[in-house]
Amino acid sequence: MSTMEQISSRPPSRYALNHLPIDQHRGSNAMWCVIATEAMLFVCMFGAYYYLGTNKDRWGIEEPPSLEYPLILLVILVASSVVLEWGKKQASRRNYSSGRLALWVTVSLGIVFMVLQTFEYISHWKTLAPYSDSYGSIFYAITTLHALHVVAGLLLLGYVGILPQIGDSARTPHRAYETVTLYWHFVDVVWVWIVLLLYVIPHFQGHAYVR
Amino acid sequence: MSTAALESRLNSLWETPKTTRGWFATVDHKELGIRYLVTAFIFLIVGGLEAILMRIQLSRSEMSILSPEAYNQVFTMHGATMIFWYASPILSGFSVYLVPLMIGARDMAFPRLNAFTYWTYLFSGIFLYIAPALGQAPHAGWFAYVPYTLTLYSPGLGMDIYALALIFLTISTTGGAINFIVTILRLRAPGMAISRMPLFLYSTLTVSVVILFALPALTAACIFLELDRRWGTHFFSIAHGGETFLWQQLFWFFGHPWVYVIFLPATGMISLIVPVFSRRPIVGYPFVAISTVLTGVVGFGVWLHHMFTIGMSDMAMSFFSAGSMTIALFTTVQVFAWVSTVWNGHPVATASMYYALGSIALLVIGGLSGVFTGIIPVDWQAHNTYYVVAHIHYVLIGSNMFPVFAAFYYWLPKMTGRMLDERLGKWSFWVMFIGFNVGFFPMHILGLLGMPRRIYTYEPGLGFDGLNMTVTIGAFILGLGILLSIINFFNSLRWGKVAGCNPWNSDGLEWETNSPPESYAVAHIPVVVTRNPLWDDFAEEDDPENERVLDSGRLTPTTTWLDAEPVGIATIPDDSLAPLILAIVMFVFFLTLTFQMVWSALTALVIIFLTGCYWMWPHASKEIS
Repeated sequence: MSTMEQISSRPPSRYALNHLPIDQHRGSNAMWCVIATEAMLFVCMFGAYYYLGTNKDRWGIEEPPSLEYPLILLVILVASSVVLEWGKKQASRRNYSSGRLALWVTVSLGIVFMVLQTFEYISHWKTLAPYSDSYGSIFYAITTLHALHVVAGLLLLGYVGILPQIGDSARTPHRAYETVTLYWHFVDVVWVWIVLLLYVIPHFQGHAYVR
Repeated sequence: MSTAALESRLNSLWETPKTTRGWFATVDHKELGIRYLVTAFIFLIVGGLEAILMRIQLSRSEMSILSPEAYNQVFTMHGATMIFWYASPILSGFSVYLVPLMIGARDMAFPRLNAFTYWTYLFSGIFLYIAPALGQAPHAGWFAYVPYTLTLYSPGLGMDIYALALIFLTISTTGGAINFIVTILRLRAPGMAISRMPLFLYSTLTVSVVILFALPALTAACIFLELDRRWGTHFFSIAHGGETFLWQQLFWFFGHPWVYVIFLPATGMISLIVPVFSRRPIVGYPFVAISTVLTGVVGFGVWLHHMFTIGMSDMAMSFFSAGSMTIALFTTVQVFAWVSTVWNGHPVATASMYYALGSIALLVIGGLSGVFTGIIPVDWQAHNTYYVVAHIHYVLIGSNMFPVFAAFYYWLPKMTGRMLDERLGKWSFWVMFIGFNVGFFPMHILGLLGMPRRIYTYEPGLGFDGLNMTVTIGAFILGLGILLSIINFFNSLRWGKVAGCNPWNSDGLEWETNSPPESYAVAHIPVVVTRNPLWDDFAEEDDPENERVLDSGRLTPTTTWLDAEPVGIATIPDDSLAPLILAIVMFVFFLTLTFQMVWSALTALVIIFLTGCYWMWPHASKEIS
């Protein structure tokens, strides 16, 4: 009981709540949780990629995937993230028109990404399909899952783009722009990992094996 | 402003109209919590009846009540129902109802998400039960090991429905977890620093984080399974470079943390109930809190102990064996804290306390058999026998169902406003406790005698007959005990004593509200200065200047996550049909996927997006100026 007596002997605090500002952070709080769980989904997928590769004497390195497309896609996605981040700053400074412009530029870059990835799939498909072997299955599973995240991001961006108000607001959703920006950066970061693990490393991995 | 005027003003802001639309559109956490509890309890009864069916089949050798295939389907449905659609959702039900009241908030952080997670939970359960209705129930156990679950060995829709129903449920569970995390970290009453939170909130928070990191493995596994079954990929087929153990790795990476998801909130409840009926604060609050969190963390490092027999390096096995035994330390800390609380307190023998103490006893037995199976040679011996069945039921019933009943006897008066009958409650407890031990203790012996799990019958003369009959009798006694409590509940609704605000003289903020609580919970946002707010001499709701009423809309304060200093005011959205519509469209989406109707599925996705826009679109919120 000693702790209780100690604490209650302290003078109780008084709080006036009526004039506090409207809370604008729950949306991005929740988005961080979404990002955590989605990131874990990709971690599981990457785990599966390596687990499937453990018992093989080589893993997708007979002919490592070409680096051309993924690197161009990477540049596009990183550029879109930079633009969107700039747009978010504009929106928070109440430059709503620049904010909206940046947002639609991001959407266009996202669409370019999707189109180019379609070309990548078409050229890749000639040598590898999801039903060729387990490597094809996991390769297309991971990249398609990412593409679905890009589509979801584009839909969210489009939704924010047509919202009547994109800055602080007394009504839910608060700061939708900021929340969606977080998500878009996440999609971007996942692509960095995909490029690294699925495209770049296989080019060096071959040298590690004794043939 | 007078108190009565303030209360009617708040009520007009927060009350859900009692219309048909109101019933479907409500976002009130109290209403949704009760729906969670009712739905999960119905799944408990369904799963229980499935268990009874199995026990009749196994009561004597060579019975033929169920065909082998029917038996497989029944045990699969029993496992899936109990583990996914009863054990975790019933705890979510308590959390949804109690968390906002315990932290002095007026609702969850995302009330519409709350409604959505309830509806998706309900619809995913209905979706699962489409399978037995079609006569094609899943039949590969709740863990659904490949390659048995691939189309070659499991044709029909059963396994597809299993995989898709689980993906559907993970959406619900993840949404709920996010809601709890943000609610607990952001909406606590001013002054309720993280060092003063009720222990139940520690367990709810821990399992919510565990859910975020564990469930994706299940989602990934189910996606792979469904792709392999219907879309021609090769994740699990050895012939094309796949790995059958990939399923087991992913499934148990999710599966073992899940055990703590259905275990920790129940221990959190015991940590609240035992001190109240021992008439003293809990012994070792910080140790209980830390061991709760550590159980969640270390729970990620034990999953291979489900797979000790698949063949792996000694290093891996030793590591996971050690991890499995480490977990026991944290549980032991909690058990000793409860026992010392009773020891140093002045225990009051209520029905709720009976259940709580009974659960501690069962948890110790189940925990010890778990330590045995964590030892690799013992595991090899006991693997796939009834010993393991006994172990999981001691842990899951002992530390989920018994605490849930303790919680029912403790918190139902808050929810219904009526007391349950103590005498009948104690009878119910003893019948359940005896039935449970008669039913499950002999399984340890059966397992050591070599009776394998998941067999639909056995030959006479193996020495299994007598023990199996005992188990079946125990199962019926356990069922009878549960029935007594159900009768008790319905009696209490009509004849129960009126509960009043705080019938147990408890310490938590939830007991400051009326029973059942008003729609706005508290007229003045409480301020907390100790761990046991209602036992100290500080008046939490004392607010003569009306500085903490927040009556200009649906509002509740937000605070900092460590010290709970007030920093803002959260606007709480009002009732909406969007969550229900979204859940229905998702149900349709998963249904179309089951039959590989691609275009319908895409259409459903478009509608899902449009519904989401309608849901989030900024409408004028309910305000009174």
